[in-house]
Formats: sequence, structure tokens, C-alpha cells
Amino acid sequence: MSILEQLVSGLTLPNLFALLPELIVLITALIVFAVELFSKSRYLISVITTVGLILAFLSTFIIKEGDITFYGLYVIDTYSLLFKAFLILGTLFVVINFRSYFEAKNTYYGEYYYLTLFALLGTMIMVSSPNLVTFYIGLELSAISMYILAGMFRKDFKSKEGAFKYLIIGGAGTAIISYAIAILYGRTGSFDSLEIAKQLSSDNLDYGIVGGLILLVIGLALKASAVPFHQWTPDAYEGAPTPITAFMASVAKVATYAIILRIMVEAFPFVSKEWSLAWAILAALSMIIGNFIALRQDNVKRMLAYSSIAHTGYIVAALAAPTGMGFAALIFYSLIYILMAIGAFILLSGLEKTKGWTNHINDFKGLAKKNPAVALAMLIFMFSMLGIPPTVGFMGKLNVFLALIGSDIWWLAVVLVVMSIISAGYYLRVVIYMYMYEPESKVQHNLTVPEVITISVMAVLVLILGIYPTIFYGFSTLLSSVLLASVGR
Amino acid sequence: MTVEFVNAGIPWITISILLPLIAAGVLFFTTEKLAKPISIVVSLIVFLISTYMLFAYDYSSYAIQFYEKYTWIPQIGVSYEVGVDALSLTMVWLTALAFLVSFIWSTNIKKRVREYFVAFLVLEAACIGVFVAWDLVWFYIFWEAMLIPMFLIIGIWGYAERIYAATKFFIYTFFGSLFLLIGVIGMYVYQYFDKGILSTSYFDLVNLHLPFNLQVIFFLLLALGFAIKVPMWPFHTWLPAAHVQAPTAGSVILAAVLLKMGTYGFVRFSLPWFPEASKYFIPVMFALGVIAIIYTAMMAISQTHIKRIIAYSSVSHMGFVTIGTFALNMEGLNGAIITMISHGFTSAALFLAAGWIYERTHSYELKDLGGMAKFVPLFATLFMISAMASAGLPGLSGFVGEFLSLLGTFKVSILTAVLAGLSLIVGAGYTLYLYHKSMFKESLLPPEKIAQWEKLKDMNAAEFLSFIPLIIMMFVIGLYPTWWVNLIKTTSAAILSKIIGG
Repeated sequence: MSILEQLVSGLTLPNLFALLPELIVLITALIVFAVELFSKSRYLISVITTVGLILAFLSTFIIKEGDITFYGLYVIDTYSLLFKAFLILGTLFVVINFRSYFEAKNTYYGEYYYLTLFALLGTMIMVSSPNLVTFYIGLELSAISMYILAGMFRKDFKSKEGAFKYLIIGGAGTAIISYAIAILYGRTGSFDSLEIAKQLSSDNLDYGIVGGLILLVIGLALKASAVPFHQWTPDAYEGAPTPITAFMASVAKVATYAIILRIMVEAFPFVSKEWSLAWAILAALSMIIGNFIALRQDNVKRMLAYSSIAHTGYIVAALAAPTGMGFAALIFYSLIYILMAIGAFILLSGLEKTKGWTNHINDFKGLAKKNPAVALAMLIFMFSMLGIPPTVGFMGKLNVFLALIGSDIWWLAVVLVVMSIISAGYYLRVVIYMYMYEPESKVQHNLTVPEVITISVMAVLVLILGIYPTIFYGFSTLLSSVLLASVGR
Repeated sequence: MTVEFVNAGIPWITISILLPLIAAGVLFFTTEKLAKPISIVVSLIVFLISTYMLFAYDYSSYAIQFYEKYTWIPQIGVSYEVGVDALSLTMVWLTALAFLVSFIWSTNIKKRVREYFVAFLVLEAACIGVFVAWDLVWFYIFWEAMLIPMFLIIGIWGYAERIYAATKFFIYTFFGSLFLLIGVIGMYVYQYFDKGILSTSYFDLVNLHLPFNLQVIFFLLLALGFAIKVPMWPFHTWLPAAHVQAPTAGSVILAAVLLKMGTYGFVRFSLPWFPEASKYFIPVMFALGVIAIIYTAMMAISQTHIKRIIAYSSVSHMGFVTIGTFALNMEGLNGAIITMISHGFTSAALFLAAGWIYERTHSYELKDLGGMAKFVPLFATLFMISAMASAGLPGLSGFVGEFLSLLGTFKVSILTAVLAGLSLIVGAGYTLYLYHKSMFKESLLPPEKIAQWEKLKDMNAAEFLSFIPLIIMMFVIGLYPTWWVNLIKTTSAAILSKIIGG
């Protein structure tokens, strides 16, 4: 083959059809960008975004599974498709609540929409990367978009502080990840997960692998805000505009969990003993510190930020049991965490539009009298995060439990139990303030239609899945078997 | 243990779980005025269903009747599996009765009526579910789901210290039940490695032949969950707080139904699952039971708050259930079950009486009361019957259960039986003290009290109606215990089959 022929064959288009959801999201983002320049119609922008996201969601159903595009740098399998569908859906439920919130806060910018779409695109690239470079590109795309989004309250000191911390620490995290990738490349000569896996096994561990693996785990833990790499989380979550926090806590977090699982299983299947211990320790620390600090928070938004750290602990605890059951538990918990996080944070953003609302726990006094339906939804989210049946949070913890005890990791199961009890302290506090105190003011909270839709859909799903989780079990066991099948590929 | 099943023609059990839930959903969309009638009618229907099951139950041989099973989560082997044996049926019937009584009583509620009844209806569904579920995941779901409405009931409609009491109740019970969960999952995992089946069904787990050391571990894990719910000494401290702060109907449910869940758990799970460990722990359980009986009886006699006295007396009665259960013979177990029912009636009636007194005098303190009997004869009579039944007067329900429990215990440990028997005297002491201080002592009354008492109204129709079924049942069980003993005999034999054979 001559060089010319080689070039020509290299110039053939990649399989673009397999990239349909990503392309739709990208094009929507560009259209929003253009429209935002020339038109001041806020309604138009939100409609375009919504339609684009719905199209992208639908397109995940029509593309063929098992496709590889960009010469093996991008894989479309059931795992990535299902996560993409959920990420798009989560973003959709967040985006429809943007306009009313930012208008109430007097900080409306069109940038919110396309930056969120770019961040979504980044997370979508992340979950379908079989290759550390693709993963890195996706990670950076989503992270940089989110640094900007977190600081969009330009006149608010806290927002700027949070965004700056997020930028510095997140930047350090990506730097660590790139070091890890470089070291692993130096040791194995490949960026491809499967190639790396072929080179590694428990009996040929050396500094290259161990160093690379440790750095990679640290970087990923930082992105997932596991203790002790969590310091950016409370500030970034508290400072960011609340719908953006909802996006960061649900979509970005879940994509991170998904990619953690994917990289660990695909690239390091034969050293699972080593990384499962690392994740077990990170999980235990996250549960303990996240829950204890959350107990002391008076600001509900900040409390939820710490509770999301604790949830990172519950979720990555499943990695301590590197079995199909553990992976299924992680996938299940990640998927349902989207529901709880979006529900709780969008509820906060709805309440925040009221004048004088500061997210302080005292503001919740007597909410059940003023807005019974809102209080009921919050009650459902709180009990679900606490893990009380018949909410789906219980099913999530049950799975992690089953996986841990099934792999004989009793100590972590006991930590999980004890920390769940501790967490009752702050989740119950919200319920107590809502239901058992008299309201301090007569201010009614008006929620817009999209907010009502979002909150009620999430609350109803949390309850229905709590009683009938079978479909999600199907998803998670299917995905975990897909992952495990790829190990031998 | 092989078990026979009689499938339900009509899914009565599922109906009686779903009906309160549907009613709770409907209440959200109706006016406040309809809340009371809807709840009373629904609880009456549930009560009638459970009464029908009580009479349709065939107690000649042991079988799980009205049995339903549907696959639920095949991936981890969970299915929806409900059915009753005589023990479950007894508890379901007691639950349905207690809820009917508290709904009738609650007609005088004025604060946030709709939410009140929604919480109680959800609670009713969860309580019935606990007693009929044969799948451990469903059992746990109902067991925990009951925490949410009870937490709200104590926390919203309670008295001054309600938030503290509600939180304490929640955290204590949550703590215990998570260890219960670890135990159950541990057994589930052991079963998978031992037999290769994924199942959370009771009937699979009961045939697991655990080695002795594992039996001990799992027994302890489960016992922690149950002991907190019973509550056994030294885990009882949440109970007086919760009882004192809860609204009257909440106390009734707490005493009549929720406490039974713990003892039900011991009888249903600990005995058949861990027969050797149960035998091994007899001395510990006896000791804890006797301490509970004596210590809390002493505590009761030194209280001045009516509800606190009744709450401590509950712990004391639960001590009888514990020693009766762990006597591990037919008499003891029958006695324990009868004590459970009987305590359901008596404590419910006593808490209703306490609520009645508070409604009229706005005080629970003994020093503010006294000498009422002459002015409210009807109430005084009913209160007297309930107090006597609680103290264990022959001819009323309390006596039968305590007698059988002691008889069973006597066969195993004379010392325990003697100590527990002696404390019956203290038991009679505090009950009489309670009644005497609140109802008699007319001669010591200052004139302004007499003037106040003369204005008292005796019971109204709703109050009378909620009292009367309890009183009737105290007499029925007390005078004709054979009926209920016959009902539960085969079930007790099946539960003990692994321990005493046959």
C-alpha cells in the first residue's frame, strides 16, 4: 500500500451514525450559541435546548450497539448507551428549570445553556471511552465547562470562591490523571484499556503500574469527591447556582462513577485486589467524614453537598467487592442517585426563588403547612437518601450491602450501617423543621410548572422504584455482565 | 421444616395492605371533612377482612393459609410472598382492631386532620405487612416503612418534648433494624454459598442448617434488632419517652402493635432459624426478661405521670413474653402469644383511659387527679376492668397469658419463674396505685377539685365505642382461653418443631 493510499483510507469518514446523540448535543449547543448572539428570546433558547435534548435522548434508542468508531477510540456499547440516555435525561430535567431560576435571581445569561450542553457532551464522551485519551478529553471538556458554570454568579463572592477552588483543585486532579496516563503509557505502551489489561497481572506488579494506578485512583477519587480529595465539593456546590449544582451533583457525578467502574474493570481487571482495597478505604473515609461534617451544617445546600460526599462513599464502596454483584450495585446506586440529587437540588432551586430564602435550615420551618406537596417531596428525597424503604434509596444500599457481605467485607458493611445511622441525624433534621415547627413567615413559595414536573417525576420515581425496582435491577445486572464480558475480549 | 401452603382464592391479605394505602392516597385529594369517615370505614373493612380470615382459618393442621406469591426481583431472588399462620393471623387481627379503635378515638383530633389520618393509614398498611410478609426483603421494607409515619405521628401531634422523643424513637429503631438487615443478608449470602440458591424466602432460610458459631452470630444480630423493638432492658429507654410524648392514638398503636413486632420477630425468626443458639441463650434471655419485669415494675411504681406508669408496665409485660418465648416449650410459647394479644388489649385500653383523663383535666400528673370515680362512673368502671386485666386478675385476659408463660418457665428454671411470679405482686401494686391515686381518694379532695370534677362529662359515644371491643376481648380471652389456645396450638408446635421435635 502506497503512502497515498494509506492517507486516502485514513481520510474516510468515521462512523458518524454511531455518534448521533453526541452530534445532536453538539449541534444543539452550537445553535444555542448562535441564537443567543442574535436573538434575545429566552424562551426560544430554552425550547431549542429542550428539543435538542429530547432528540438526543430518543436517538440513543436507534443506534446500533457494539459499534466502534474513530478507529477504536470510541465505543458504543450497552453500558455507554444506557448511561448516556440517563445523563441526557438528567440534564433535560435540570435545563428546563434554568430560566425561571436565573430570571428570579436576575442573572440570566444564555451561556448557561450551551455550557451545560458542552459539559453534558464531555460526560457522554467519558462514558463511552475505551481509551484513556478519549476519557481525558471528555473529562476536560466537562470539567472546564463546569468551572465556568460554577462561577456564573459574577457578583456573588461565594460563587466566585467556589468556582476558583473548583478550578484549582479540579485542575490539579486532571493534572494527576494525565500523569497517571503518561506513566501507564510508559509502562505498557498503550492508551487502550484492553491493551493495558493484557500487560498487567498481579504477579508482575512494578513501580510503573502501581504508581500509575495510584495516581489514576487519586485523580478519579478527586473528580468523584471522595475524602480526602473532597475539599472543593462543599464550596463549589454551595456557591454555584442551584440548578448548576443539581447538574454537577447528578449528571457529572454519575458519569464519573460510570467511568471509574469502566476504567477499573476494563484496564485493571487482573489487579482488582489492589484497587478494591484502595476504593474501600476511600469509601470508608468518605462515609465517615461526609456524614459527620454534614451533621454540623445549618445550610441545607451545603449539607446536601456533604451528603453527596457521603453518597460517593456508599457508591464506591461497591468497588470494594470486585464481583458482578458489586458492579451491578454501583450501577444501580448511580442511576438512582440521579433521581434523588436532581429532585432535592431542583426543589431547593425552586424555593430559592422566594425573596429572603437563604437555604438556612430555619427557612424550612413549617414548610409542611405552607406548601404540603413540596414538603412531602422533600420528605421522600430525605428518606430516600437516608435509605428507608419503601424508597429506592434503600434498594441502593441493600445492593451495596449484599455485594459487600457476599465478598466477605464485613468491616465496610458495618461502617456503612453505622454511618447510615449517623446520617439520620441531619436528614431527619430537615423533616423535623418542615413538619414539626410552626412557620416563621407567611411567605408562599410559588413553583413553576417545570419545577413541579421535575420534582414530582423524581419523587414518584423514587417511590415506584422503591417498590418495584425490577427494571433497574435488570439494567444494572445487564450492564455489569456487559462490562465483565469485555474483560476477556 | 416442610410447610404446606393453601393458596388464597381472593387475595385478602394484599387487599388489606393496599386498601389503607389507597385510602391514604385518596385523602390527599379530598376535603378535610371526609378524612375521618373514610379512614374509619377503611379500617372497619380491614378489620372485617381479618375477622373473616380468623374464622376461615383452618387450625387443625399447620399450613400457611391465604398464601400469595409473585416474582418480584428475579435477579436477587426476591418475591412478594404473603400468607398467615395462626401467629401472623393473631397479630394481623390485633393490628386491625387496634387501628379501628384508634381511628374511632381520633374523631376528636383537630390539628392537621388530613395528614394525621394519612400517617395512620400508611402505618396500618406497614404494620399489617410486617406480620404477613414471608419474604425477608418485604418484611424489612414493612418493618422500616413503619418508622416514617410513626416518626411523624409522635413528632407532629405529640406533646412538648415530642421532637426529642420522635428522634430518639427513630434512631434507636433504625439502629437495631440495620443490624437485623446485616444478619438477614449474612444468612442469604451463606445460603448462596452453601446451597447455590438465591432466595430471601423464609421457607428457604428456615431450612438452612447453620453451624453453631454462625447461629450465635446471626442470633445476636437479629436479636439486637428485635430487642430494641420489644423493648428489652437495657434498650427500653426510648419507650417511655415515645409513649409520654405521643398522642393518645399513637400510644395505643405503639403499645398494641409496634411492641409486638419485636416479640413476633423472636418467635417467628429466632426460634426456628437458630434452634441451638436459642437454647444456648436461654439464661441470657431469662435474665434480661426477669430484669425487665422487676426493674421496670419498680420504675413504674415510682412514677407520677400516668402514661409513664403504663409505658413501664408495658416493658414489664413484654418481659413475660420474652421469658415465655425462651422457655422453649408449648406452654411457654402459647403463654407468650396470649400475653402478646392480651397486652394489646389492656395497654390500648389503659392508654385510651390516660388520653381520656388528659382530655378532661389537661394533666397526666397523679397529683392533679384523684377522686373522679364518683363523678364519671362509666369511665371508672371501664378503666377498672382494663387495669385489673393488666394486673392479671383471673377471669380477664392478662391472667391467662402470664399464667401459661410462668408455667412454661417453671418447667425450665424454677428461679426465673419464682422471681417473675413475685414481681406480679409489684405489678398489681403499681396498677392499683395508678387506679387508686387517679380515681379514688375522695376524702382528700379539696373543694375546688370537687367543683371541677362535678362539671366532668362522662364518656361520649366515640370514646365508649372505642373502649368496648377491647373490654369484650379481655373477657373473651380471660373466660374462654381454650379458643385461642386451640387456634395457635399447631402453629406453636410447628415453630418449636426444631427444638423439641415433632
